[in-house]
Amino acid sequence: MIVMVGGILMMVQYFIPHQYSQAVFNSYTEWAPIVGAFALILGVGSLTRVHSHKIRRKAKNWQYSWAVLLPLFGMPVFALLLPQSLAGGMEEPSIFHFLFMHIQVPIQSTMFSLLAFYIASAAFRAFRAKSALATVLLLAAVIVMLGQVPIGEVFGRWLPETGLWILRYPNLAAKRAIMLGVGFGILATNLKIIFGVERNWLGGAGK
Amino acid sequence: MLNLDRRWIFLAIGVVSIIPFLVGIGMPISTTAEVESIFDYVNGLDKNDAIFISFDYAPGTQAENTPMGVAVMRHAFYNDVPVFITSYFPLGHGMAIEGLNYVTNPAVPGFYQRVSFEEWAVFREAGITDKDELVIAWENDGNVLPEGAMGWVFEGRDFAMLGYAPLFHLVILGMTASIEAQYPQDIYENQLYEMPMLREHKSLREISLALTTAGSSACRSWIVYGREKVGLPVAFGVTAVMATDYFPYIQSGQIIGQMGGLRGAAEYEVLLAENGITASTDKAFRGMDVQSAAHMLIILLIIMGNIAFFAGGFHKKTAMKGRG
Repeated sequence: MIVMVGGILMMVQYFIPHQYSQAVFNSYTEWAPIVGAFALILGVGSLTRVHSHKIRRKAKNWQYSWAVLLPLFGMPVFALLLPQSLAGGMEEPSIFHFLFMHIQVPIQSTMFSLLAFYIASAAFRAFRAKSALATVLLLAAVIVMLGQVPIGEVFGRWLPETGLWILRYPNLAAKRAIMLGVGFGILATNLKIIFGVERNWLGGAGK
Repeated sequence: MLNLDRRWIFLAIGVVSIIPFLVGIGMPISTTAEVESIFDYVNGLDKNDAIFISFDYAPGTQAENTPMGVAVMRHAFYNDVPVFITSYFPLGHGMAIEGLNYVTNPAVPGFYQRVSFEEWAVFREAGITDKDELVIAWENDGNVLPEGAMGWVFEGRDFAMLGYAPLFHLVILGMTASIEAQYPQDIYENQLYEMPMLREHKSLREISLALTTAGSSACRSWIVYGREKVGLPVAFGVTAVMATDYFPYIQSGQIIGQMGGLRGAAEYEVLLAENGITASTDKAFRGMDVQSAAHMLIILLIIMGNIAFFAGGFHKKTAMKGRG
């Protein structure tokens, strides 16, 4: 009922430029992030319960649960509770800033950088001109790849221009078709949720 | 050859990624209409406008996304356009701070000298908030622009670091009515209502551009909740793998333009340098040499893989297996 009323209300207010409608909208947009922030408490509570349970039971790879829990509680302590005289806070120089810049940033950057190595390996092993469609895909990929980098222009202006043409026309047409399909799907799912036809998101799988 | 140990491929990619950084080839980069349109739009703004630059990505894609935010921030500062800095994700908050710190770092060539909100409080209380008048008053007070600096940037006049807020798509929606309602303070606990740039631009309706530098589909929220709700002009700076997804938004006119991957950032750097806004190009331009080498190697590997596949007769075996 709450979802139905809330959903219909927000849909309707979008089309009514009246001060009462605007007041509802303003209240919602001020309250929603506050309510949403409480989901953080649920998330932290759930994560803590799962991992503390694993540690207590000495379940498989339980040591890694410490790697989750220590930063989970350590980072807020460093940022919010530790006084600035002891390198607290979030600004440089602080322990929080140091850990973010020298552990989290390199870890995430490294993970993303690994893609280059695996893409190269996969290109060698899997990118085959096995059929006419696969050959078209391969040629398009090579043209776009070369067209996107400065060295592509060494082969002539036609190469980057052809790469851009592929992106601007065939790619655009395919993407638009996919987006329209996804958009209609989202619309249908939202209406089903608002009118109570779809209830799986509540948990219990339709019970 | 198909049995080539993949560690050789990893080694080759490692080598071609490192050598161009050390050698510094500096191959010329031509600019595309998608990036030129953002540059021209920002170039047409002045101190009476204001823009948002949102760092909507995690550190994983910082190599591509950070140079985009940095380049547009430099462009805005050069034209005295106030910049609100936000983030869609908690990790992007740190990226936003690093982006601003880079532009205002005295060790980086072409930096902007940062003046904190407290430092110019006396001038603000005296009613001096116009940028030109403020610079004159500030320098008459004995402050000297450091050597190599491109200009002064006053916190609250030229930039406001708003940072991350939870459920950011709702924050965008809320900012269509009031920026201050969503961000009563900046991340340094300065009150937004005291900031001249907020007094002149109270909601997204009064903002001239939102640039979202994104490593995920978060950038779409600026279209859905900003562009479609109040007509906010939006520009994208997205990773190369995502760039193909957003060409429909360019054609439909929902976004002004798009910087796609490191190439997009490098193009913006080239435009800044060609127009005298920066003395030279920066990290993205240097990174393009690495991309050139890596792309050439990957294409070489594809060719080698196909030669080995067909020369070895594997395609016939696969076809026979398929018939069997």
